[in-house]
Amino acid sequence: MTLTQRENFEIMLNGGKPEFAPLLYELYKVCMLATNNTDQPWQGGKDPFGVNWVATAEGVIPESGKILFDDIADWKEYVKFPDVDSLGIEQMAQIELADFTDEKRKEQPVAVFNACGLFERMAAFMGFENTLCALIEDPDSCHEFFAAMADYKIACINRYIDAYKPDVIIYFDDLATARGMFMSPKTYREVIKPYHKRIVEAVTSRGVIFNQHTCGKCEDIIEDYVEMGIKIWDAAQVCNDLEGILTKYHGRLIVEGGWDTSGPASYMGAPVEAIIEETKRCAEQYGKKGNFILFPVLMNEKGHAFMTGDERIPALIMTWNQVNKL
Amino acid sequence: MAKIEEVKAMVEAGKAKLVPGLVQEALDEGSAAKDILQAMVGSMGVVGDKFSTGEIFVPEMLMAAKAMAKGVDVLKPLMAGDTSNSLGTCIIGTVAGDLHDIGKNLVSMMIESAGFTMVDLGVDVAHEKWVEAIKENQNVTLVACSGLLTTTMPSLKEAVQTVKASGLTGFKVLVGGAPVTQQFADEINADGFAPDAGSAAVKASELVKSL
Repeated sequence: MTLTQRENFEIMLNGGKPEFAPLLYELYKVCMLATNNTDQPWQGGKDPFGVNWVATAEGVIPESGKILFDDIADWKEYVKFPDVDSLGIEQMAQIELADFTDEKRKEQPVAVFNACGLFERMAAFMGFENTLCALIEDPDSCHEFFAAMADYKIACINRYIDAYKPDVIIYFDDLATARGMFMSPKTYREVIKPYHKRIVEAVTSRGVIFNQHTCGKCEDIIEDYVEMGIKIWDAAQVCNDLEGILTKYHGRLIVEGGWDTSGPASYMGAPVEAIIEETKRCAEQYGKKGNFILFPVLMNEKGHAFMTGDERIPALIMTWNQVNKL
Repeated sequence: MAKIEEVKAMVEAGKAKLVPGLVQEALDEGSAAKDILQAMVGSMGVVGDKFSTGEIFVPEMLMAAKAMAKGVDVLKPLMAGDTSNSLGTCIIGTVAGDLHDIGKNLVSMMIESAGFTMVDLGVDVAHEKWVEAIKENQNVTLVACSGLLTTTMPSLKEAVQTVKASGLTGFKVLVGGAPVTQQFADEINADGFAPDAGSAAVKASELVKSL
Protein backbone atom coordinates (compact mmCIF):
# COMPACT_ATOMS: atom_id res chain seq x y z
CA MET A 1 0.00 0.00 0.00
CA THR A 2 1.33 3.41 -0.92
CA LEU A 3 1.62 5.81 1.97
CA THR A 4 0.57 9.44 1.79
CA GLN A 5 3.28 12.08 2.00
CA ARG A 6 2.25 12.77 5.60
CA GLU A 7 2.33 9.13 6.67
CA ASN A 8 5.69 8.56 5.03
CA PHE A 9 7.05 11.80 6.56
CA GLU A 10 5.94 10.82 10.05
CA ILE A 11 7.71 7.47 9.80
CA MET A 12 10.87 9.28 8.76
CA LEU A 13 10.56 11.82 11.59
CA ASN A 14 10.36 9.00 14.09
CA GLY A 15 13.49 7.36 12.73
CA GLY A 16 11.66 4.48 11.08
CA LYS A 17 12.05 3.21 7.57
CA PRO A 18 9.91 5.25 5.20
CA GLU A 19 8.44 3.78 2.04
CA PHE A 20 10.13 6.39 -0.14
CA ALA A 21 12.47 9.35 0.03
CA PRO A 22 10.28 12.44 -0.45
CA LEU A 23 10.73 15.22 -2.96
CA LEU A 24 10.25 18.65 -1.40
CA TYR A 25 8.05 19.77 -4.30
CA GLU A 26 5.59 17.00 -3.47
CA LEU A 27 6.05 16.70 0.27
CA TYR A 28 4.85 19.97 1.77
CA LYS A 29 2.13 22.44 1.23
CA VAL A 30 4.58 25.34 1.28
CA CYS A 31 3.36 28.72 2.57
CA MET A 32 5.49 31.78 2.14
CA LEU A 33 3.26 34.85 2.00
CA ALA A 34 3.38 35.86 5.67
CA THR A 35 7.15 36.19 5.81
CA ASN A 36 6.83 38.43 2.78
CA ASN A 37 5.19 40.93 5.15
CA THR A 38 7.12 40.25 8.36
CA ASP A 39 10.66 39.77 7.10
CA GLN A 40 11.55 40.28 3.42
CA PRO A 41 9.43 40.99 0.37
CA TRP A 42 9.98 38.16 -2.13
CA GLN A 43 9.31 40.47 -5.06
CA GLY A 44 11.55 43.23 -3.72
CA GLY A 45 10.71 46.54 -2.03
CA LYS A 46 10.86 47.77 1.53
CA ASP A 47 10.41 45.43 4.49
CA PRO A 48 8.64 46.56 7.69
CA PHE A 49 11.96 47.80 9.10
CA GLY A 50 12.67 50.03 6.09
CA VAL A 51 15.33 47.88 4.41
CA ASN A 52 15.00 47.87 0.62
CA TRP A 53 15.23 44.41 -0.97
CA VAL A 54 16.15 43.80 -4.59
CA ALA A 55 14.84 40.77 -6.47
CA THR A 56 17.43 38.62 -8.22
CA ALA A 57 17.09 35.33 -10.08
CA GLU A 58 18.17 33.42 -6.98
CA GLY A 59 16.17 35.34 -4.39
CA VAL A 60 15.92 38.78 -2.84
CA ILE A 61 18.86 40.55 -1.23
CA PRO A 62 19.20 43.87 0.59
CA GLU A 63 20.08 46.65 -1.83
CA SER A 64 23.84 46.77 -2.18
CA GLY A 65 25.56 49.64 -0.42
CA LYS A 66 22.42 50.80 1.42
CA ILE A 67 22.67 50.26 5.16
CA LEU A 68 20.68 51.73 8.03
CA PHE A 69 23.65 51.98 10.40
CA ASP A 70 27.22 50.73 10.59
CA ASP A 71 27.79 50.36 14.33
CA ILE A 72 25.74 47.76 16.17
CA ALA A 73 25.96 49.92 19.31
CA ASP A 74 23.56 52.31 17.54
CA TRP A 75 20.89 49.76 16.65
CA LYS A 76 18.25 51.09 19.06
CA GLU A 77 18.30 54.46 17.29
CA TYR A 78 17.45 52.90 13.94
CA VAL A 79 15.49 49.71 14.51
CA LYS A 80 11.79 50.26 15.08
CA PHE A 81 9.93 47.01 15.53
CA PRO A 82 6.70 46.83 13.57
CA ASP A 83 3.39 46.21 15.27
CA VAL A 84 2.79 42.50 14.66
CA ASP A 85 -0.97 43.13 14.51
CA SER A 86 -0.43 45.28 11.42
CA LEU A 87 1.44 42.71 9.34
CA GLY A 88 -1.50 40.78 7.96
CA ILE A 89 -0.29 37.34 8.97
CA GLU A 90 -3.82 35.98 9.38
CA GLN A 91 -4.94 37.35 6.02
CA MET A 92 -1.93 35.77 4.30
CA ALA A 93 -2.81 32.42 5.88
CA GLN A 94 -6.38 32.69 4.66
CA ILE A 95 -5.19 33.35 1.12
CA GLU A 96 -2.64 30.56 1.06
CA LEU A 97 -4.84 27.95 2.65
CA ALA A 98 -8.05 28.91 0.87
CA ASP A 99 -8.07 25.74 -1.22
CA PHE A 100 -6.25 23.54 1.23
CA THR A 101 -9.00 21.39 2.68
CA ASP A 102 -8.87 19.32 5.84
CA GLU A 103 -8.72 16.25 3.61
CA LYS A 104 -5.59 17.57 1.90
CA ARG A 105 -4.09 18.42 5.28
CA LYS A 106 -4.47 14.79 6.31
CA GLU A 107 -2.31 13.80 3.35
CA GLN A 108 0.27 16.58 3.20
CA PRO A 109 2.18 18.47 5.92
CA VAL A 110 2.03 22.27 5.93
CA ALA A 111 5.38 24.08 6.00
CA VAL A 112 5.58 27.83 6.61
CA PHE A 113 8.64 29.85 5.61
CA ASN A 114 10.14 32.30 8.06
CA ALA A 115 12.87 34.17 6.24
CA CYS A 116 15.69 36.43 7.40
CA GLY A 117 16.93 34.92 10.65
CA LEU A 118 18.89 36.72 13.33
CA PHE A 119 22.24 36.88 11.56
CA GLU A 120 20.77 37.70 8.16
CA ARG A 121 18.64 40.43 9.74
CA MET A 122 21.68 42.10 11.26
CA ALA A 123 23.40 41.90 7.87
CA ALA A 124 20.31 43.40 6.21
CA PHE A 125 20.65 46.41 8.50
CA MET A 126 24.44 46.80 8.56
CA GLY A 127 25.89 44.91 5.60
CA PHE A 128 27.89 41.72 5.96
CA GLU A 129 31.28 43.27 6.65
CA ASN A 130 30.03 45.43 9.52
CA THR A 131 27.99 42.55 10.89
CA LEU A 132 30.88 40.11 10.89
CA CYS A 133 33.17 42.60 12.60
CA ALA A 134 30.46 43.44 15.16
CA LEU A 135 30.24 39.81 16.24
CA ILE A 136 33.77 39.96 17.60
CA GLU A 137 34.17 43.71 18.19
CA ASP A 138 31.04 44.37 20.19
CA PRO A 139 29.40 41.13 21.32
CA ASP A 140 27.49 42.93 24.11
CA SER A 141 25.53 45.05 21.66
CA CYS A 142 25.02 41.98 19.47
CA HIS A 143 23.51 40.15 22.44
CA GLU A 144 21.05 42.99 23.01
CA PHE A 145 20.15 43.16 19.34
CA PHE A 146 19.67 39.41 18.94
CA ALA A 147 17.59 39.19 22.12
CA ALA A 148 15.21 41.88 20.88
CA MET A 149 15.09 40.42 17.37
CA ALA A 150 14.37 36.95 18.77
CA ASP A 151 11.39 38.44 20.63
CA TYR A 152 10.08 39.81 17.33
CA LYS A 153 10.64 36.53 15.51
CA ILE A 154 8.90 34.58 18.24
CA ALA A 155 5.94 36.96 18.25
CA CYS A 156 5.59 36.53 14.48
CA ILE A 157 6.08 32.76 14.59
CA ASN A 158 3.43 32.38 17.28
CA ARG A 159 1.03 34.20 15.01
CA TYR A 160 2.06 31.97 12.10
CA ILE A 161 1.35 28.91 14.21
CA ASP A 162 -2.07 30.22 15.25
CA ALA A 163 -3.01 31.20 11.70
CA TYR A 164 -1.57 28.38 9.60
CA LYS A 165 -1.51 25.50 12.09
CA PRO A 166 1.65 24.30 10.37
CA ASP A 167 3.48 21.05 10.84
CA VAL A 168 6.82 22.67 10.04
CA ILE A 169 8.36 26.12 10.36
CA ILE A 170 11.25 26.64 7.96
CA TYR A 171 13.53 29.22 9.55
CA PHE A 172 16.08 30.80 7.23
CA ASP A 173 19.48 31.93 8.43
CA ASP A 174 22.50 31.52 6.20
CA LEU A 175 25.54 31.31 8.42
CA ALA A 176 28.08 29.85 6.04
CA THR A 177 29.87 30.33 2.75
CA ALA A 178 30.58 27.54 0.28
CA ARG A 179 33.85 26.92 2.10
CA GLY A 180 33.00 27.27 5.76
CA MET A 181 31.19 29.20 8.45
CA PHE A 182 31.04 32.99 8.17
CA MET A 183 32.16 33.14 11.77
CA SER A 184 33.91 30.60 13.98
CA PRO A 185 31.66 28.00 15.61
CA LYS A 186 32.78 29.49 18.93
CA THR A 187 31.49 32.93 17.92
CA TYR A 188 28.22 31.39 16.72
CA ARG A 189 27.80 29.53 19.99
CA GLU A 190 28.57 32.54 22.15
CA VAL A 191 26.79 35.33 20.31
CA ILE A 192 23.99 33.88 18.17
CA LYS A 193 23.09 30.43 19.41
CA PRO A 194 21.45 31.42 22.73
CA TYR A 195 18.82 33.42 20.81
CA HIS A 196 18.53 30.89 18.04
CA LYS A 197 17.80 28.33 20.76
CA ARG A 198 14.99 30.48 22.12
CA ILE A 199 13.37 30.59 18.69
CA VAL A 200 13.70 26.83 18.27
CA GLU A 201 12.14 26.26 21.69
CA ALA A 202 9.27 28.63 20.91
CA VAL A 203 8.44 26.53 17.86
CA THR A 204 9.01 23.04 19.23
CA SER A 205 7.21 23.79 22.51
CA ARG A 206 4.06 24.19 20.43
CA GLY A 207 4.51 20.80 18.80
CA VAL A 208 5.76 22.21 15.52
CA ILE A 209 8.80 20.80 13.71
CA PHE A 210 11.75 23.15 13.32
CA ASN A 211 13.36 23.11 9.90
CA GLN A 212 16.60 25.08 9.75
CA HIS A 213 17.62 26.51 6.39
CA THR A 214 21.34 27.13 6.20
CA CYS A 215 23.16 27.06 2.89
CA GLY A 216 26.89 26.55 2.62
CA LYS A 217 29.40 24.47 4.53
CA CYS A 218 27.93 24.62 8.01
CA GLU A 219 28.66 21.07 9.14
CA ASP A 220 30.68 22.38 12.08
CA ILE A 221 27.47 23.41 13.84
CA ILE A 222 25.15 20.55 12.85
CA GLU A 223 25.65 19.04 16.30
CA ASP A 224 24.43 22.35 17.77
CA TYR A 225 21.37 22.21 15.55
CA VAL A 226 20.50 18.71 16.68
CA GLU A 227 21.13 19.58 20.31
CA MET A 228 18.69 22.51 20.09
CA GLY A 229 15.93 20.30 18.75
CA ILE A 230 16.14 21.17 15.07
CA LYS A 231 14.67 18.22 13.24
CA ILE A 232 15.29 19.06 9.59
CA TRP A 233 18.26 20.79 7.98
CA ASP A 234 17.25 22.41 4.71
CA ALA A 235 19.17 23.18 1.56
CA ALA A 236 21.92 20.88 2.80
CA GLN A 237 24.60 21.39 0.20
CA VAL A 238 27.17 18.94 -1.09
CA CYS A 239 30.10 20.95 0.26
CA ASN A 240 29.23 19.21 3.55
CA ASP A 241 29.78 15.53 4.33
CA LEU A 242 26.13 14.71 3.72
CA GLU A 243 26.56 10.95 3.78
CA GLY A 244 28.38 11.13 7.10
CA ILE A 245 25.72 13.43 8.55
CA LEU A 246 22.89 11.21 7.29
CA THR A 247 24.47 8.23 8.98
CA LYS A 248 25.49 9.93 12.21
CA TYR A 249 22.18 11.63 12.89
CA HIS A 250 19.73 9.04 11.62
CA GLY A 251 16.56 9.31 13.67
CA ARG A 252 17.53 12.73 14.97
CA LEU A 253 18.00 14.91 11.88
CA ILE A 254 16.51 14.77 8.40
CA VAL A 255 18.68 16.16 5.64
CA GLU A 256 16.75 18.19 3.05
CA GLY A 257 18.71 19.20 -0.03
CA GLY A 258 21.47 17.12 -1.57
CA TRP A 259 21.40 18.77 -4.99
CA ASP A 260 24.75 19.94 -6.32
CA THR A 261 23.82 23.61 -6.45
CA SER A 262 27.12 24.61 -8.02
CA GLY A 263 27.18 21.75 -10.52
CA PRO A 264 26.06 21.49 -14.14
CA ALA A 265 22.49 20.49 -13.20
CA SER A 266 22.06 23.89 -11.58
CA TYR A 267 23.51 25.92 -14.42
CA MET A 268 21.08 28.14 -16.23
CA GLY A 269 19.42 26.14 -18.99
CA ALA A 270 20.87 22.81 -17.86
CA PRO A 271 19.63 20.02 -20.17
CA VAL A 272 17.03 17.66 -18.78
CA GLU A 273 19.54 14.79 -19.08
CA ALA A 274 21.83 16.53 -16.55
CA ILE A 275 18.88 16.99 -14.20
CA ILE A 276 17.86 13.34 -14.46
CA GLU A 277 21.45 12.26 -13.81
CA GLU A 278 21.68 14.48 -10.71
CA THR A 279 18.30 13.20 -9.49
CA LYS A 280 19.51 9.62 -9.73
CA ARG A 281 22.78 10.48 -7.98
CA CYS A 282 20.89 11.98 -5.05
CA ALA A 283 18.67 8.91 -4.76
CA GLU A 284 21.63 6.56 -4.83
CA GLN A 285 23.93 8.56 -2.60
CA TYR A 286 21.50 9.99 -0.03
CA GLY A 287 17.95 8.76 -0.58
CA LYS A 288 18.65 5.21 0.44
CA LYS A 289 19.76 6.37 3.90
CA GLY A 290 16.08 6.87 4.76
CA ASN A 291 16.24 10.32 6.32
CA PHE A 292 16.59 12.44 3.23
CA ILE A 293 14.29 14.85 1.38
CA LEU A 294 15.40 15.89 -2.10
CA PHE A 295 15.38 19.64 -2.73
CA PRO A 296 16.40 20.22 -6.36
CA VAL A 297 17.72 23.55 -7.56
CA LEU A 298 16.80 24.22 -11.16
CA MET A 299 17.51 27.69 -12.45
CA ASN A 300 15.85 29.31 -15.44
CA GLU A 301 15.48 32.79 -16.88
CA LYS A 302 12.72 33.60 -14.38
CA GLY A 303 14.67 32.37 -11.37
CA HIS A 304 14.54 29.38 -9.04
CA ALA A 305 12.23 26.69 -10.43
CA PHE A 306 10.83 26.07 -6.95
CA MET A 307 9.34 29.57 -7.01
CA THR A 308 8.78 30.10 -10.71
CA GLY A 309 8.02 26.66 -12.16
CA ASP A 310 9.96 24.99 -14.94
CA GLU A 311 9.15 22.75 -17.87
CA ARG A 312 11.87 20.29 -16.75
CA ILE A 313 10.15 19.58 -13.41
CA PRO A 314 7.82 16.80 -14.67
CA ALA A 315 10.81 14.78 -15.91
CA LEU A 316 12.54 15.31 -12.58
CA ILE A 317 9.47 14.18 -10.60
CA MET A 318 8.96 11.14 -12.80
CA THR A 319 12.61 10.12 -12.42
CA TRP A 320 12.58 10.65 -8.66
CA ASN A 321 9.47 8.55 -8.21
CA GLN A 322 11.18 5.74 -10.11
CA VAL A 323 14.32 5.75 -7.98
CA ASN A 324 13.23 6.91 -4.52
CA LYS A 325 11.76 3.66 -3.13
CA LEU A 326 13.34 2.28 0.00
CA MET B 1 59.81 44.37 20.83
CA ALA B 2 60.58 46.90 18.11
CA LYS B 3 57.57 49.01 17.22
CA ILE B 4 57.46 47.61 13.70
CA GLU B 5 57.10 44.14 15.20
CA GLU B 6 54.25 45.40 17.36
CA VAL B 7 52.58 46.84 14.28
CA LYS B 8 52.82 43.43 12.61
CA ALA B 9 51.40 41.66 15.63
CA MET B 10 48.52 44.10 16.06
CA VAL B 11 47.57 43.97 12.39
CA GLU B 12 47.46 40.19 12.63
CA ALA B 13 45.32 40.47 15.76
CA GLY B 14 42.97 42.93 14.06
CA LYS B 15 43.46 45.74 16.58
CA ALA B 16 42.28 48.59 14.39
CA LYS B 17 42.28 51.13 17.21
CA LEU B 18 45.88 50.43 18.22
CA VAL B 19 47.59 50.18 14.86
CA PRO B 20 47.62 53.89 13.82
CA GLY B 21 49.34 54.89 17.06
CA LEU B 22 51.87 52.10 16.74
CA VAL B 23 52.59 53.01 13.13
CA GLN B 24 53.26 56.58 14.23
CA GLU B 25 55.52 55.34 17.03
CA ALA B 26 57.40 53.13 14.55
CA LEU B 27 57.92 56.17 12.32
CA ASP B 28 59.07 58.20 15.32
CA GLU B 29 61.47 55.40 16.15
CA GLY B 30 63.03 55.83 12.70
CA SER B 31 61.44 53.08 10.66
CA ALA B 32 60.86 53.95 7.01
CA ALA B 33 57.25 54.17 5.85
CA LYS B 34 57.83 51.63 3.09
CA ASP B 35 59.28 49.14 5.61
CA ILE B 36 56.27 49.53 7.88
CA LEU B 37 53.97 49.01 4.91
CA GLN B 38 55.89 45.93 3.88
CA ALA B 39 55.64 44.58 7.40
CA MET B 40 51.87 45.03 7.35
CA VAL B 41 51.63 43.37 3.92
CA GLY B 42 53.52 40.44 5.45
CA SER B 43 51.06 40.30 8.33
CA MET B 44 48.15 40.14 5.92
CA GLY B 45 49.85 37.26 4.16
CA VAL B 46 49.94 35.40 7.45
CA VAL B 47 46.28 36.28 8.06
CA GLY B 48 45.36 35.05 4.58
CA ASP B 49 47.15 31.76 5.18
CA LYS B 50 45.39 31.30 8.52
CA PHE B 51 42.06 31.93 6.82
CA SER B 52 42.81 29.47 4.04
CA THR B 53 43.69 26.76 6.55
CA GLY B 54 40.58 27.43 8.66
CA GLU B 55 42.49 28.71 11.67
CA ILE B 56 40.63 32.00 11.57
CA PHE B 57 37.31 33.04 10.01
CA VAL B 58 35.99 35.96 7.99
CA PRO B 59 35.47 38.36 10.94
CA GLU B 60 39.06 37.99 12.12
CA MET B 61 40.31 38.54 8.58
CA LEU B 62 38.10 41.59 8.16
CA MET B 63 39.37 43.05 11.40
CA ALA B 64 42.97 42.54 10.29
CA ALA B 65 42.24 44.22 6.95
CA LYS B 66 40.58 47.09 8.80
CA ALA B 67 43.59 47.42 11.12
CA MET B 68 45.96 47.54 8.16
CA ALA B 69 43.83 50.15 6.40
CA LYS B 70 44.05 52.36 9.49
CA GLY B 71 47.81 51.95 9.49
CA VAL B 72 48.04 52.75 5.79
CA ASP B 73 46.10 55.98 6.42
CA VAL B 74 48.97 57.15 8.62
CA LEU B 75 51.56 56.21 6.00
CA LYS B 76 49.79 57.60 2.92
CA PRO B 77 50.91 61.24 3.24
CA LEU B 78 54.49 60.07 3.62
CA MET B 79 54.36 57.79 0.61
CA ALA B 80 52.64 60.04 -1.91
CA GLY B 81 54.37 59.53 -5.22
CA ASP B 82 56.35 56.53 -4.01
CA THR B 83 55.27 53.60 -6.15
CA SER B 84 58.10 51.27 -5.21
CA ASN B 85 55.84 49.13 -3.06
CA SER B 86 52.79 49.28 -5.27
CA LEU B 87 51.66 46.32 -7.30
CA GLY B 88 49.59 48.60 -9.49
CA THR B 89 45.89 49.20 -9.79
CA CYS B 90 43.28 46.48 -9.45
CA ILE B 91 39.84 46.94 -11.00
CA ILE B 92 37.31 44.87 -9.07
CA GLY B 93 33.58 44.23 -9.24
CA THR B 94 30.84 41.65 -9.59
CA VAL B 95 29.82 40.81 -13.14
CA ALA B 96 26.63 41.93 -14.86
CA GLY B 97 23.54 40.42 -13.24
CA ASP B 98 25.23 39.71 -9.91
CA LEU B 99 24.20 42.01 -7.07
CA HIS B 100 26.00 40.19 -4.26
CA ASP B 101 28.95 42.11 -2.93
CA ILE B 102 30.08 40.30 0.21
CA GLY B 103 32.75 38.14 -1.41
CA LYS B 104 33.86 40.97 -3.62
CA ASN B 105 34.27 43.41 -0.72
CA LEU B 106 36.32 40.97 1.27
CA VAL B 107 38.55 40.10 -1.68
CA SER B 108 38.96 43.81 -2.36
CA MET B 109 40.21 44.42 1.18
CA MET B 110 42.63 41.53 0.98
CA ILE B 111 44.02 42.50 -2.42
CA GLU B 112 44.44 46.06 -1.19
CA SER B 113 46.33 44.68 1.78
CA ALA B 114 48.74 43.00 -0.62
CA GLY B 115 49.74 46.39 -2.03
CA PHE B 116 47.33 47.23 -4.83
CA THR B 117 45.44 50.44 -5.42
CA MET B 118 41.82 49.41 -5.67
CA VAL B 119 39.18 50.73 -8.05
CA ASP B 120 35.90 49.17 -6.98
CA LEU B 121 33.28 49.24 -9.73
CA GLY B 122 30.67 47.83 -7.34
CA VAL B 123 28.09 45.25 -8.33
CA ASP B 124 26.33 44.35 -11.59
CA VAL B 125 29.15 45.72 -13.73
CA ALA B 126 28.32 45.85 -17.45
CA HIS B 127 30.90 44.10 -19.63
CA GLU B 128 31.98 47.27 -21.43
CA LYS B 129 32.43 49.03 -18.10
CA TRP B 130 35.42 46.80 -17.29
CA VAL B 131 37.16 47.93 -20.46
CA GLU B 132 36.33 51.58 -19.82
CA ALA B 133 37.75 51.32 -16.31
CA ILE B 134 41.01 49.82 -17.58
CA LYS B 135 41.33 52.72 -20.01
CA GLU B 136 40.39 55.36 -17.45
CA ASN B 137 42.79 54.29 -14.70
CA GLN B 138 46.56 54.38 -14.64
CA ASN B 139 48.78 51.33 -14.28
CA VAL B 140 46.01 48.73 -14.21
CA THR B 141 47.76 45.44 -13.55
CA LEU B 142 44.84 43.32 -12.43
CA VAL B 143 41.15 42.90 -13.22
CA ALA B 144 39.30 40.90 -10.56
CA CYS B 145 35.83 39.68 -11.54
CA SER B 146 33.47 38.01 -9.08
CA GLY B 147 30.41 35.90 -9.81
CA LEU B 148 28.64 34.49 -6.76
CA LEU B 149 25.78 32.71 -8.45
CA THR B 150 25.50 29.86 -10.92
CA THR B 151 23.13 32.08 -12.89
CA THR B 152 25.88 34.62 -13.47
CA MET B 153 28.59 32.20 -14.54
CA PRO B 154 27.84 32.89 -18.25
CA SER B 155 28.14 36.58 -17.45
CA LEU B 156 31.53 35.98 -15.85
CA LYS B 157 32.63 34.27 -19.03
CA GLU B 158 31.40 37.17 -21.13
CA ALA B 159 33.13 39.73 -18.90
CA VAL B 160 36.47 37.93 -19.23
CA GLN B 161 36.04 37.55 -22.98
CA THR B 162 35.15 41.22 -23.39
CA VAL B 163 38.23 42.33 -21.46
CA LYS B 164 40.49 39.91 -23.33
CA ALA B 165 39.06 40.91 -26.70
CA SER B 166 39.52 44.62 -26.02
CA GLY B 167 43.11 44.56 -27.25
CA LEU B 168 44.26 46.20 -24.02
CA THR B 169 47.31 44.66 -22.35
CA GLY B 170 49.48 44.96 -19.27
CA PHE B 171 47.15 43.26 -16.80
CA LYS B 172 45.95 39.84 -15.70
CA VAL B 173 42.39 38.70 -15.09
CA LEU B 174 41.53 36.98 -11.81
CA VAL B 175 38.14 35.33 -11.21
CA GLY B 176 36.39 33.91 -8.17
CA GLY B 177 33.08 33.29 -6.45
CA ALA B 178 31.26 30.38 -4.84
CA PRO B 179 30.45 28.34 -7.99
CA VAL B 180 33.74 29.13 -9.75
CA THR B 181 36.41 26.45 -10.00
CA GLN B 182 39.88 26.30 -11.49
CA GLN B 183 38.39 24.25 -14.32
CA PHE B 184 35.79 26.91 -15.06
CA ALA B 185 38.43 29.64 -14.85
CA ASP B 186 40.50 27.75 -17.43
CA GLU B 187 37.46 27.25 -19.65
CA ILE B 188 36.72 30.97 -19.76
CA ASN B 189 40.37 31.85 -20.31
CA ALA B 190 40.93 33.72 -17.05
CA ASP B 191 44.56 34.11 -16.00
CA GLY B 192 43.93 33.10 -12.43
CA PHE B 193 41.41 31.72 -9.97
CA ALA B 194 41.26 31.95 -6.20
CA PRO B 195 38.92 29.97 -3.97
CA ASP B 196 38.85 32.49 -1.12
CA ALA B 197 39.85 36.01 -0.15
CA GLY B 198 43.19 35.08 1.40
CA SER B 199 44.23 33.09 -1.64
CA ALA B 200 43.01 35.90 -3.89
CA ALA B 201 45.58 38.29 -2.41
CA VAL B 202 48.36 35.76 -2.89
CA LYS B 203 47.24 34.90 -6.41
CA ALA B 204 46.90 38.58 -7.31
CA SER B 205 50.51 39.25 -6.31
CA GLU B 206 51.75 36.18 -8.17
CA LEU B 207 49.93 37.11 -11.35
CA VAL B 208 51.14 40.68 -11.36
CA LYS B 209 54.73 39.75 -10.60
CA SER B 210 54.66 37.49 -13.67
CA LEU B 211 53.65 40.35 -15.97
